[in-house]
Amino acid sequence: MEKPQIQPIFSVSDFIAVVNQTLEYAYPSVSIEGEVASFKVSQGKFVFFDIKDKGGSVGCFMSVWQLRVPIEDGMKVIVSAMPKLTQWGKFSLTVKTVRPSGEGALKKSFELLKAKLDTEGLFAPERKRQLPTLPKHIAIISSTQSAGYADFIKILNDRWGGIKVDVAHVQVQGEIAPDQMIKAIDFFNQQELLPEVIVIIRGGGSADDLAAFNDELLVRAIAGSRIPTLVGVGHETDESLCDLVADVRAATPSNAAQILVPDKNEIIRSVRVQVGSLLPRILQIIDQQKIAVSGLLISAIDSVDRAIDDQTMRVSNLKNVLSQLDPNKVLARGYALVRGVKRIGSVIEIETTNNIMKAEVKNVINK
Amino acid sequence: MSSTNKSISEKTTELSKLITWFDSEEFSLEEAIDKFKQAEKLAASIELDLSSLKNEIQIVKQRFDSEN
Repeated sequence: MEKPQIQPIFSVSDFIAVVNQTLEYAYPSVSIEGEVASFKVSQGKFVFFDIKDKGGSVGCFMSVWQLRVPIEDGMKVIVSAMPKLTQWGKFSLTVKTVRPSGEGALKKSFELLKAKLDTEGLFAPERKRQLPTLPKHIAIISSTQSAGYADFIKILNDRWGGIKVDVAHVQVQGEIAPDQMIKAIDFFNQQELLPEVIVIIRGGGSADDLAAFNDELLVRAIAGSRIPTLVGVGHETDESLCDLVADVRAATPSNAAQILVPDKNEIIRSVRVQVGSLLPRILQIIDQQKIAVSGLLISAIDSVDRAIDDQTMRVSNLKNVLSQLDPNKVLARGYALVRGVKRIGSVIEIETTNNIMKAEVKNVINK
Repeated sequence: MSSTNKSISEKTTELSKLITWFDSEEFSLEEAIDKFKQAEKLAASIELDLSSLKNEIQIVKQRFDSEN
């Protein structure tokens, strides 16, 4: 004879506990995609909303601090949650993370958070700090397996040397990426010898791939960093909130390296050109001085020539004056030279150009 | 690095001063060749420094996953 099967009789509390144990065993964590409805924040601490699709709806609960991106009714999201039966017998999802799903939701969430952080002044130009001109110690936060990291290191090594580079290897994509990057920022900010700049880099990807860089807590961690930050995420056209909050934004990881250090090859070329131009300059100055000395010599010779001409002219003038004083010239003009005593009866001598005559003085009258 | 203890930045500053001297009122032909030789030597030293310096890249041991 078969023994009758005895069914256990639970208390209500025990039944709820057993159901929750079963749920926890079967679904320790589930990811569910759906549309947000009836979103509300209670007492500034608790978040309630429903996640639904055409065929059903489930209530969700989470703490405000777990909500890393803004959501609103109608937004498509993916929640990572644990199913639970409450003590009032209501089935709900205890949400660990929620993230927008699809391009429209990502964009909407981005715009909402951007507006919020902008209002707080996190993107204000006056908050931006300058990066050191020639850093000797830098910190990098990136995935060491990513193409973006490889590009950055290649360009950095090509352009400059002698830098101590500390690299924090983190996830740069997915749910855990923001927390890892936040921890890396905190780690570098707590070092005894602070790096001079933190560089956060990641190569290109889809909007969903880059969503980690629009995480509110990560954006706030970058804003709060004691060390100046340089962010180079995605391609030139991609814009993340981390880009906006960084002290300096690079268009790409390669561009980050270009911003960070000068190009040693350009410096070497410039130094060669500058020094190479010195010798021709010296020769040019020597030529200029030769011309100047030659000019001075010509000028000196001209001065001597002028002095000689002046003196010649002066002598010539004096000769002219002297020639005018020659008595023969006066006689040639018709005058006569009279010699003797001007007394009545005395004999005087009269000389003209051609003759010398003797004459007697007949009369003397005073004029 | 080259034999002197000066940094690249210090050497570059020194070279800039030397080059500026050639355009300054202090310029004299008597000193020019000496200054030119100094500039050549500095330029060679800067080039050597820049070419030989390597970055020291180190992955930090600290783990940043959620458990830490």
